[in-house]
Amino acid sequence: MNKGVLIFAHNSRQVDYALMAIVAGGLAKKNLQVPVSLVTDESTLEWMKISKTISKAKTVFDKIIEVKKPVTSNQRLLVDAYTSKMVPFVNLNRSSAWDITPYERTLLIDSDYLVQSTNLSEYWDADSDFMIAPSMNDIRGDRIGVLDKHVSETGIPLCWATTVMFTKNKKTKLVFNLVEYIKDNYANYADLFRFNPNIYRNDIAFSIALHMLDGFEHSDYNYLPPVLTASGKDVIYEVMDNKIKLLINDDMSEDNVVATTISKRDIHVMNKQSIVRHAKEFMSLI
Amino acid sequence: MDDRLKKALDFSKYRQTLSIQRKQLKEKLQAQLTFGYNGGIFYIDMTLITFVQMCIDQERTSNVPLIDSNDNPILIDDLKKFRDEIFDRYFSASFEYMKEYEQVKKSRTVEKLLDL
Repeated sequence: MNKGVLIFAHNSRQVDYALMAIVAGGLAKKNLQVPVSLVTDESTLEWMKISKTISKAKTVFDKIIEVKKPVTSNQRLLVDAYTSKMVPFVNLNRSSAWDITPYERTLLIDSDYLVQSTNLSEYWDADSDFMIAPSMNDIRGDRIGVLDKHVSETGIPLCWATTVMFTKNKKTKLVFNLVEYIKDNYANYADLFRFNPNIYRNDIAFSIALHMLDGFEHSDYNYLPPVLTASGKDVIYEVMDNKIKLLINDDMSEDNVVATTISKRDIHVMNKQSIVRHAKEFMSLI
Repeated sequence: MDDRLKKALDFSKYRQTLSIQRKQLKEKLQAQLTFGYNGGIFYIDMTLITFVQMCIDQERTSNVPLIDSNDNPILIDDLKKFRDEIFDRYFSASFEYMKEYEQVKKSRTVEKLLDL
């Protein structure tokens, strides 16, 4: 069975997702020793040529798959340490991963998920067609709120679609088709599951799809490891010798910042601009 | 600021950093001790190692079903090979943990803690 990693990247004016995907893809390829493919669009490819990152992309990615950029009014709050702004967010085509992937066994990761260990390699041969991260693991340990664990205050448990592993077969096609259906009827499902319909989140769509396919009950799925996460308020301040040094905030006060080092661990860095600022150092690790 | 208070606050920052660094090390160990084998996902701990060794001591060395971390029964065709692999993984991960833990213990400043 051929296996590989798939990353989606659609640039906005504010965030260079393609650059992040090159970093994430390069690290995944290096540490998991499997091919990595990029799913992107014409305008993002154009920007990669202008910004001269296309040559690096060609060395990192096994395949660069061009798709039509989804039209969306989806917006998200982009947090960069103490500043934040609403920015467009193109994440509507994740459910097409099943059709697009060139691999029989695919690890789908976000472009801000940095694979720095071989840990996910243990899951390639797991006897499960579909696996997803069941939760997030805060880097600091004490900043997990209700909405990080559930789709709403009264809702079902929230899975994290930051990492999804699946085998291409009829069973998993059902999952992705249902995610697509939930996306198309997001407002109705928001009514039913009581979450905010204003921002489309793949995490929520996948969580509901799995909940429904499990007979509207929580099942003991085979899961991927929880996603170690640095929040948007956390800042990378140094990348060196396979180590990422971060300043992490306690959510209560801007002054209460502590530092930490991450090495040989996979991490979801939600402060996207922080990855972009250190892209050069990350590139040297690839 | 009173010098006593400043020293106490500096120390609290050190303790916070220390606690987060220890959390990172512990979670790294847990990730390294996750072991995929024959379609199953095992968490390597002393219970698993002891049970496997006990099976071998009882001469049950082939086609042994073991229950993995997701409660799935996994057939282990060669238990000695499985034991050797979990032994290797356990010791490489725990030696690395010990080395880094010792470094954390010795580090008396935030800067040194971050050199790990």
